[in-house]
Amino acid sequence: MKTSKKIVILLGAVLAVAIVVLTFITLGGRTEQRIHKVSVIIPNSEDAQWSSFKYGLRMAAEDSEMEVFVTSTGESMTVEEEQAVITQELKNGADAVIVQPVAGTDAEDMLRKIEKKVPVMLTGQTETREQDTSSFPVTEADNYAIGEELAKEILQDYNGNIKEKTVGILMSSEGSEAAASRKQGFLDSLKDTGAVQIWELTEAEENVLEEQKAVDFLIALDDDSMAAAGKCAAANNLHGALVYGVGSSTESVYYLDTGSIECMVVPDAFNVGYQSLTEIAKRLEHPFYKMKSSEVSHTVMRRSNLFSEENQNVLYTMNQ
Amino acid sequence: MKNKYFRHLKNIMPKGMQPMIMFAFSIISIILMLILGSVLYIRFSSVSRQEITQGTQKLIEQTGESLEDYLVRMRQISDTIYYNAVKENDLSHQDRDLQREMNLLYEANQDYLRSIAIYNSSGSLVAAEPVAVQKEDPDITRQDWYTQAMQEVENMHFSTPHIQNLFNDATFRYYWVISLSRMVELTDKGDTQTGVLLVDMDYSNISRMMKQINTLNNGQYYYLCDSSGKIIYHPRQTQIVKGISSENSKVAAQYKDGSCDETFEGEQRKVIVNTISYTGWKLVGVIPFSTFNQGMVNIKYFVVALMLLLVGMLIIINRIVSKRISRPILALNHSVMEYEAGEKPRIYIGGSPEIRHLAHSIQNSYEENEMLMNKIVLEQNERRKSELDALQSQINPHFLYNTLESITWMIEGERNDEAVFMISQLAKLFRISLSKGCTVISVKDELQHAQSYMNIQKVRYKNTFSVVFDVDPIICTCCTVKLILQPILENAINYGVGGMEECGEIRVEGRLEQDQIVLTVIDNGLGIAEEEVAYLLTDSTRVHTKGSGVGLVNVNNRIQLLFGKEYGLRVESELDKGTRITICMPAVPYTEENRKILEKGYLFSKEEIVDKKIKAGKDEDE
Repeated sequence: MKTSKKIVILLGAVLAVAIVVLTFITLGGRTEQRIHKVSVIIPNSEDAQWSSFKYGLRMAAEDSEMEVFVTSTGESMTVEEEQAVITQELKNGADAVIVQPVAGTDAEDMLRKIEKKVPVMLTGQTETREQDTSSFPVTEADNYAIGEELAKEILQDYNGNIKEKTVGILMSSEGSEAAASRKQGFLDSLKDTGAVQIWELTEAEENVLEEQKAVDFLIALDDDSMAAAGKCAAANNLHGALVYGVGSSTESVYYLDTGSIECMVVPDAFNVGYQSLTEIAKRLEHPFYKMKSSEVSHTVMRRSNLFSEENQNVLYTMNQ
Repeated sequence: MKNKYFRHLKNIMPKGMQPMIMFAFSIISIILMLILGSVLYIRFSSVSRQEITQGTQKLIEQTGESLEDYLVRMRQISDTIYYNAVKENDLSHQDRDLQREMNLLYEANQDYLRSIAIYNSSGSLVAAEPVAVQKEDPDITRQDWYTQAMQEVENMHFSTPHIQNLFNDATFRYYWVISLSRMVELTDKGDTQTGVLLVDMDYSNISRMMKQINTLNNGQYYYLCDSSGKIIYHPRQTQIVKGISSENSKVAAQYKDGSCDETFEGEQRKVIVNTISYTGWKLVGVIPFSTFNQGMVNIKYFVVALMLLLVGMLIIINRIVSKRISRPILALNHSVMEYEAGEKPRIYIGGSPEIRHLAHSIQNSYEENEMLMNKIVLEQNERRKSELDALQSQINPHFLYNTLESITWMIEGERNDEAVFMISQLAKLFRISLSKGCTVISVKDELQHAQSYMNIQKVRYKNTFSVVFDVDPIICTCCTVKLILQPILENAINYGVGGMEECGEIRVEGRLEQDQIVLTVIDNGLGIAEEEVAYLLTDSTRVHTKGSGVGLVNVNNRIQLLFGKEYGLRVESELDKGTRITICMPAVPYTEENRKILEKGYLFSKEEIVDKKIKAGKDEDE
């Protein structure tokens, strides 16, 4: 065969391949870009306290062009239940999971197994007092600092003089690492003030609260406790206790607005949702990317500044 | 270095005709395709950019109109309440009428409204719809909408979105509203006092409108800000508040309506602005330049694919065309090469009329060539034969026998001097006859040869005739074909003066006439009949009765072969009076160079002959 003929055939073949590839790309190759799916497993997912968090997830999903799905869960979950939900989500095609770990020492092991399959991002520490949990990326508020902030606000209200004042602590999620840190931060800050912790409750039921000994300050360390305490205070069933605490729902805000709650620290749940999903997105985009843990800020709300521009924006995220 | 590349380029350049045509066509095609592709892409890109911008502009205008309609409606509600309810009713007596009017309006517009409320100058609630429990201490007088209304009493004021902080809502909802406030005059127990009419619009309506146009997922988005650049709606509003994202709204608020380009945080983008009347709000559409490119990626691939397809097709077409063009030329070339190799193929005739014409020309040329070659061969053969005949005439045994016998008699008769003369004449005759094998000799030698021959013949014929040589010496240095006089002289003896008792005379004259040598042999012999004269130079088959048999035809042919058809012999004869034979030849100076040229058979043209003569003349002068 002549050289020129060979060159023409070779050139024709190269052109044909290039045309086929380009046609494929033009007609459909590029449109079939896969959208990653991320499942979010949080306890009591329909609760209003997650509004900001879910809005943050939604915004991050829009920015990162991903699909996010918040799994419907009950008020409380065991490790096994959580594992079952995660497994089900993986079966449904989830490429990554964002998990609020439930109380229980087995949660760590369960999450390690899951992590081998898909990227896992936590929105709170696991209950692993004996184990090193730093291997999981966690996006959460600085709970210890929130506890400290609460103590600081009380001290500020009383010019630092709360000697012999009594304190009752209310937290609904027993064993939750977040609540434990907040409590620790709060108690550490009150250590040398002369304030006395009288009781600690892990059930945020109204009638149970009523039955407790009268205290000067009721410290609610999570949103459920805050709402319960606000409701109780609105009904004047707290024996005059002033409520300070941590909240993230409009219900808690309402009680703050109506004067039933004195002060509320609001973790930036929007950013927890936004940053956790953004990190996941980076990981899914670049498989060798190592997800980083991050801490979000918090806001102190009082009745007097509830409608400040900054707090209105916090309320905006809660209303979504 | 450059040369090296050029050399390399030269090496890869196709060599053959067809690859060369194809290569040239393909290069031109590719260049044209590249230009066409670029132009197409730029045009597409420009049109697409224009369409996106126009689309965005239209969408912004439509949304702006919807927003204006919505805001006009709110203002109409405010006007209706003020002029139909507040101004017409006294708060103390006909309180219920005011409430009813407000209720009717609220019910009719509840999809757009959150609440309608009237506050007096001290910030106390006068009336509200829907009826709700007012917060314990909302501190109305410090709220922006109230202070603005009280400060600028003539205007209606649109606030930026904010949380309504007026009523208790047991469902724990905090509504985002845009407040339309205006100062109103309230009549209470006949007294007029100032107050503020507040129409709280549901922010979700505006939010919904904006969300509807923010569905594109290509980086393009729309936002709404007030005249100072404070954001009213932005698809990434919370991210902006949190500092995750940012927006150039403060600058955009200064833009006039229309589109302009800007660079924000290193990103180039097109911004389209539409101002909402009365409020001064700016509806801004942002198209990052990357969006234009994003939309063009597929077009880019499509154009490239199209160009490649066209290039591919052109290569095929080029190959076919180049083959069609080159095939007849290659076939022609092939047949010519075969011809050159010694074969006798038929010259290929085909292809376009030009190539056919060329082929015909080549074929004719070859045919003519062949004919000429044959002619040359024939002429050469004739020439050789003529020369051979002439040579043979010199060694005619009869002539030689007679001559030698005459010499013998002379020796026997002790006429030694005469014998010596005869032998020397015979030697000269043969020497010139041979002339080292040359065909062309000088006129001088030819005359010497003729003289030697005549001297011998005169002895043989016992001086029965006389011979006179009257030759202009100038012609002696010119060229002539050898042995042309001797046959004529032989004829003059044999058919002219040989038979005469006495008074026979042969005269040989030589002149230069108009660049021609004219040699004339004149005898006063018996002459030739007129009818025979005509055959002397044409009929070579005639039987010679006397002499060597080399006829005038032979002489004439040899002259013409060497000098051309215009030269040769001319015979004039008259019975009983004699014969005159004239030889015409060009006057070519006898030099070694001219001799060689003439012997090769090259015919001088007249001009060349003149040149040669001039040149020779000059040489002589020098």
